[in-house]
Amino acid sequence: MARSIIERILTALLVVFGSTFLVFTILYVLPGDPVDTILDPSVATPEMIEKLRHELGVDQPFHIQLFQYFSDLFQGNFGHSLVNSTPVLPQILDQFPKTLALTLASASISIVLGLTLGVLSAIHRNKAIDILARIIGLFGISMPTFWTGILLILIFSVHLGWFPSLGSDGWQTLILPAFTLGVIGAGSIIRMVRNSMLEVISENFITTLRSKGLSERVIMYRHALRNALIPALTMMGMIIGDMLAGTVIIETVFSRQGIGRLIADAIMASDLPVVQGVIFFTAILYITINLIVDISYTIIDPRVRRSI
Amino acid sequence: MITNNQSLSKSALALTTAIVVLTGCASGTSQSGASQAEPEDSTKGGDLTYALASIPANLDPARSGWAVESRVYKQIFEGLVTKLPDNTIVPELATDWEISDDGKTYTFHLREDVTFHDGTPLNAEAVQYSFDRILDPETQAGNAFSRLQPYESSEIIDDYTIELHLSTPSVPFLDNLTQANLSIVSPTAAEEYDDQFGQNPVGTGPFEFVSLQENSNIKLKRYEDYDWGSDKYKNKGPAYLDTLTFNIITEESTRIGSLQSSQVLAAEAIPPQNIEAFENDDSLELLSQNIEGLPYTLFINPDHEPWGELEARQALQYGIDIDHIVETLYFGTYDRAWSAITPGLLGYDESLEDAIETDVEKAKELLEDIGWEEGNDGIRTRDGERLTLQYVDITPNREKRNDIAVMIQQQLKEIGIEVDIELTKDVATTINTNGDYDLYGNSQVNGDPNALIQFYHSPAEGARDTLSKVNDPEIDQWLQDAVTEQDEDKRAELYKNVQQFIHNEAIILPIYVPNYTVGTQKSVHDITFDYLGYPQFNDAYVQP
Repeated sequence: MARSIIERILTALLVVFGSTFLVFTILYVLPGDPVDTILDPSVATPEMIEKLRHELGVDQPFHIQLFQYFSDLFQGNFGHSLVNSTPVLPQILDQFPKTLALTLASASISIVLGLTLGVLSAIHRNKAIDILARIIGLFGISMPTFWTGILLILIFSVHLGWFPSLGSDGWQTLILPAFTLGVIGAGSIIRMVRNSMLEVISENFITTLRSKGLSERVIMYRHALRNALIPALTMMGMIIGDMLAGTVIIETVFSRQGIGRLIADAIMASDLPVVQGVIFFTAILYITINLIVDISYTIIDPRVRRSI
Repeated sequence: MITNNQSLSKSALALTTAIVVLTGCASGTSQSGASQAEPEDSTKGGDLTYALASIPANLDPARSGWAVESRVYKQIFEGLVTKLPDNTIVPELATDWEISDDGKTYTFHLREDVTFHDGTPLNAEAVQYSFDRILDPETQAGNAFSRLQPYESSEIIDDYTIELHLSTPSVPFLDNLTQANLSIVSPTAAEEYDDQFGQNPVGTGPFEFVSLQENSNIKLKRYEDYDWGSDKYKNKGPAYLDTLTFNIITEESTRIGSLQSSQVLAAEAIPPQNIEAFENDDSLELLSQNIEGLPYTLFINPDHEPWGELEARQALQYGIDIDHIVETLYFGTYDRAWSAITPGLLGYDESLEDAIETDVEKAKELLEDIGWEEGNDGIRTRDGERLTLQYVDITPNREKRNDIAVMIQQQLKEIGIEVDIELTKDVATTINTNGDYDLYGNSQVNGDPNALIQFYHSPAEGARDTLSKVNDPEIDQWLQDAVTEQDEDKRAELYKNVQQFIHNEAIILPIYVPNYTVGTQKSVHDITFDYLGYPQFNDAYVQP
């Protein structure tokens, strides 16, 4: 098993390297000169431009720049922002906890809401609670994030005045954005749990259990739910990944700090070192999460261990 | 394993309820902080939160190029001179000044009672440091560098007297000194923070910098020792506000929502479609001010066929119903522009207003005259070539400029021109480097008609084309003469000539005069605007 874990880690490193290389290449090939971001092209003299290009190293050929970039990364140097000259890594580390808090809060809402409604809707099939759960599920899946966000702001912040619509200080500011993202995740979980519950219920072993005289409640919660939970758990891993991506929109709509907003703003300002830095950082994050999930599967499930 | 079967269904419900209840509890705390301010006595004061629509990243006047940044750092910094809304230039950090007869030496006498927020005294040395810093390539000054031209060097006469030497005479130089880019910075702080000065700005203004949270807010507080307010303000002493916080809320509906729910007390860039709702809401007030300089203007590229021909350009002048566009998109909140400069600038030529009336038939005739015949699909052709126009615009859709493009596309179809719209982020490459466009829009904030020189004077040998691509000795002469002309009336006359020329040659299509709108809660009083339309807070206070 140790060998397979080492293999997984090596693959992960390769993916980090590959994605960083890809991002670097794309940004290198795209038109636009980082010097234009710093110096106003209408007033900068050719000497000023040349000097700055040299300082930034953008007058070097591609392979030299690439090598320099990787060797800097290796030393933990993500470069400096072109817009405000501050180092990139501290910026990311400063913003990341806010994104993490939002992601965890949203994931909790997704899981609690998704599991609760999913189970209730399968058990009370075609009753009012089922219909309500299905509507919420459909809403979560179909609505664009920014639209749900703005709608929640209008209702709960502007009209009812219950929650703040902006900022990232204090837990109150977390509620609306976490709900916006959470409802979307919950939508998928409700559907997944409901479907797998219904599927499990129709299986033979449930009939067997019924014929043994077990109470409906025991059958549902002890047997059906446990079997239905497995696919839902897999899905939750994916949902957390989606949420990290969703923060780009949510952080902008709710004026929150975080790495999603950081990269969105950096893209708007053509601040390449920040864009590259955030992508590299999130790539590592994604891959680490996946690695942990993969490794824990090998530990939990013997079938997966054999197939790795 | 689930041990208590009975409780699951209940606990599921309980959890859902708990979330609702929990979130409900939050309501008390969140609202009371913002909207229910304590009733105050008659002393003016308060904490003002002001929502910005875009992100100020760098608060170093020398290095900043964006209007949103100067809205913030103008509160922290001051210049030698400033300007009143009626265009008169009055002292700020300087008490008075003399200009030598050859127009190349400006002598400034400074106030002797001014200290920077870090305790550094303001003196001739600080002024010299600030200007030389802009010239230093290490500083990477952009706009400030161009505004400081033709400054060459300075000489300290005594502690509070400084001579600025220009390489060539320049009348607009004094006006440029009123702009925030050329503010005087604390030499101590600029040295200490070096390229991080933009994150730690120190000036002499009514507010001092407290903190900057990236992408979130910038906090300023009253500078208690401030006692040298210029004639721009009623209040010459320390500002009334205790603190001034700029919140960055880029999303339009969030910004408006935050203001309506009192989470911020003022917000900039109120979209035209919300203005009526504002006027009907008793708790809100709307302030607005035209932004002076060059209006939003579409430049026609004469290097591309057929736009080098006057008739073709005139066809655009007659074929585009600018009134209709401005009225439809901005609901009367923006004025239509008629000339190459805005109405508030010296020398604005009023006679150009209504000088062109939309006339589709005339536009069609003009095109027929130069051989563009209507084809089967309604698009004109000449020698087998279709009449297409490449319209380049910047994303995102700032001030609905992308919508202008779409409306023009529809209108020009009427007269047989096919419009391709290209939206791009990288305008520098498309426009400046490749020149790959027929129509492209631009505007500029400026207090002096000398701004025209950057757009309409022939470029220097080897320099890049201007946006207008005008290359005409007559207009060059007017623009050069206006730089050194001391007589204001004669100067105005020269700029009128330039505007007439631009109009008669159909070089541009002026569209609208940009406008700065600020919505505030009724509790906010006396936010004023300077001559460029930037907000000022020295007189402002919050009182329910």
